[in-house]
Amino acid sequence: MIARYLIALTLASAGSGAIGAAAPDCSRPFTLALHDHGLLYSADTDTGIDKDVADELVRRSGCKVTVGLMPRARIWQLIESGALDFSLSGIANAERDKFAAFAWYFSNKYYLLVRKDSGVRNLDDFERNDRLQLGVIRSFRYSDTANRLVDRLQAAGRLTQAGGLAPLYQTLMLDRVQGMIIEPFDYPTLEEIKIRDITAIIEFNDPPVPHGLIMSRKALPPAEQEKWRLLVNGMRVDGTLRRIFEKYFKPELAAALVNF
Amino acid sequence: MVARHRMAALRLLPWLALVGGLTISWLVWDYERQSARKELRARFDFALRETVSRVEQHMVAYEQMLRGVQALFATTGTMDRKAFHDYVGTLQPDANFSGVQALGIAKRVPSQLKAAHVATMRRLGFAGYEILPAGERELYAPVVQREPGIGRNRAPFGFDPWSDPVRRQAMEKARDSGMAAITGKVRLIIDSGTDAPPGFIMYLPIYAHGEMRDSVTRRRKHLVGWVYASFHVNDFMASLYGKQLPGLSLAIYDGVVPADGALLFRSADGAGRTAPALTANEYMVVAGHTWMLSMVTQPEFETGLGRDAASVIAVTGIGLSVLLALLVWLMLTGRTRALRLAAEMTEELRHMAQHDALTDLPTRALFSERLHRELARAKRHDGRFAMIFLDLDNFKPINDNFGHAVGDLLLQQVARRLQASVRVSDTIGRIGGDEFVVLLPELTGAGTALVLAEKIRQAVRHPFIVDGRKLSITCSLGVAIYPDDGADEIVLTKSADEAMYRAKESGRDSVRLAG
Repeated sequence: MIARYLIALTLASAGSGAIGAAAPDCSRPFTLALHDHGLLYSADTDTGIDKDVADELVRRSGCKVTVGLMPRARIWQLIESGALDFSLSGIANAERDKFAAFAWYFSNKYYLLVRKDSGVRNLDDFERNDRLQLGVIRSFRYSDTANRLVDRLQAAGRLTQAGGLAPLYQTLMLDRVQGMIIEPFDYPTLEEIKIRDITAIIEFNDPPVPHGLIMSRKALPPAEQEKWRLLVNGMRVDGTLRRIFEKYFKPELAAALVNF
Repeated sequence: MVARHRMAALRLLPWLALVGGLTISWLVWDYERQSARKELRARFDFALRETVSRVEQHMVAYEQMLRGVQALFATTGTMDRKAFHDYVGTLQPDANFSGVQALGIAKRVPSQLKAAHVATMRRLGFAGYEILPAGERELYAPVVQREPGIGRNRAPFGFDPWSDPVRRQAMEKARDSGMAAITGKVRLIIDSGTDAPPGFIMYLPIYAHGEMRDSVTRRRKHLVGWVYASFHVNDFMASLYGKQLPGLSLAIYDGVVPADGALLFRSADGAGRTAPALTANEYMVVAGHTWMLSMVTQPEFETGLGRDAASVIAVTGIGLSVLLALLVWLMLTGRTRALRLAAEMTEELRHMAQHDALTDLPTRALFSERLHRELARAKRHDGRFAMIFLDLDNFKPINDNFGHAVGDLLLQQVARRLQASVRVSDTIGRIGGDEFVVLLPELTGAGTALVLAEKIRQAVRHPFIVDGRKLSITCSLGVAIYPDDGADEIVLTKSADEAMYRAKESGRDSVRLAG
């Protein structure tokens, strides 16, 4: 009953025009996994953008959703197998499109963060210098140019994989990797003077890449995916998402991220 | 000119074939080497990913075990000693959990409750219980229970992990996040020996029953203790699911720096490999803590594909290239060599046709040809030449007495001696059994011819050594001069023949001039 009320509220506030669209089928409990990544989610404090988005989604859907924490590589594996229903802030590629559906809620660019003493002034500089190692989070994908760089470095054995951002920053400080790919929600750590002092930021000349709710195709039939997508769209339309982002970013940046 | 260029180009062909063959071999070899290297890298990357995943999964399994305790306390509403004891007993920790040394409870004790806590513990039967290390602190988190209570786990309770910065960091992290957190490298309290293996502890927070825990502040406020599992890293690694690929050695370090002091685990074959083909470090985040996993290939892995196609391609390629070049060379030079052979054989046949098989002197046909040539020349220039007929005297008896073989040998020696007696420009022919004819071109007069005939007669008179036998023979010679004794072959031959018969008739061993 309460769930129905919430859904009705969601649809009304979204003004999505999807009058008559059914609420998600809550006949079974769902699973949603977060990954520890900068402002998206910090396990240390159990807070972050994705946590807020998850809470809001759960509230609007009225479904029982068990929220857990996992490495990103594990999340993709479970989404593919259908053992996990949802995750957040995912980006698509041809391979993922086969097993996952998405509901976009923000979009951002990617940047190469490099040590100043590596002598790298542009993307080609980094690739040309065989001694430079790029630190990446296992299973992460990026914008097209960044993906190509990562794939070529992988073939050359010049990738250093990590399970999260924290060890990447540490290894960057220790000069064990000389570069890493970052997104706006990785900025807070950058605020630390010691990292900012020794690094420079190079932009990938790609358009912003949309990020969204990841839905396992195996776990959710297309009609259900569409219902969840409507929920996310509702959160965009009524400004909820923008308000969530404004908790973590300056208003202009928050607007740039959610208005795409 | 064009033909010479063509020949030069043809001579280059075998080399071109060789260079072409070697280039293709190199390209194939290089491609194979690259793809073998790629395949090795792919297997290595896969093995690294699998290893990381197995460690993570194993950690998750232990986390689930601790969550069971959390659930137990949530159900009972208290941190009940007996319930915990029974829970661990029910788990029946088997070999799958051999990595875990102990499951335990650390109770949050604020300083003002310390005395009461110690008294309670002593009342429970733990005489002499005290919080260690001793000293006044704001907060204590003494270990109050350890299961299964056997063996080393029976070490006295009371150790305060909160007093140890390494343990405390994980306990704080678990408390604030509400999730499992593991410590850095520690020496477990239950390890009494000096050479304790590296260990770590996983903490999961326990909050007061029924209280909200949706913020850090609330979680801190309602924390009542921790449930923990302590591990020896080598046992933890030994109980991993799945199989490590052979030929890969593994080291795990606490944190991101591979220092000796931070070494948590090293596989048996992990020491001292210089210049491995592939090496990778991965920074795993397990239960909120970073481990550096360092993987290095051993020769067994590097050759594990059992494929050395590159070497096979190199050897076969070089061999085939050389063979191809040889084949091209044979095809190109085959025609030339065949033509040369044919020419040689033709020349030999011609020689055979024109020369007497026994003495190798020109036959009548060749002699006749040269005579015609000389006739034509002499006619054109009003020149003179001589023709000498020579017949060996009494040759037949030699054949009869000593056999034809000796006769033939004698004829050969006579021929050689005749040849040595005349000028290079003169031609001696054998026209019958023991009959010879000599053509002396470009003569000034009959005198010269007579002198030469006489020289021949003298040369023949010298005894021959044939088959170890000394044989003497003489000859009769008739000389005819062109144009005095005949203007054509027939007349000239007839004149010389008649002169020779006159010499025979005059008692042999003499020279007669025609006319």
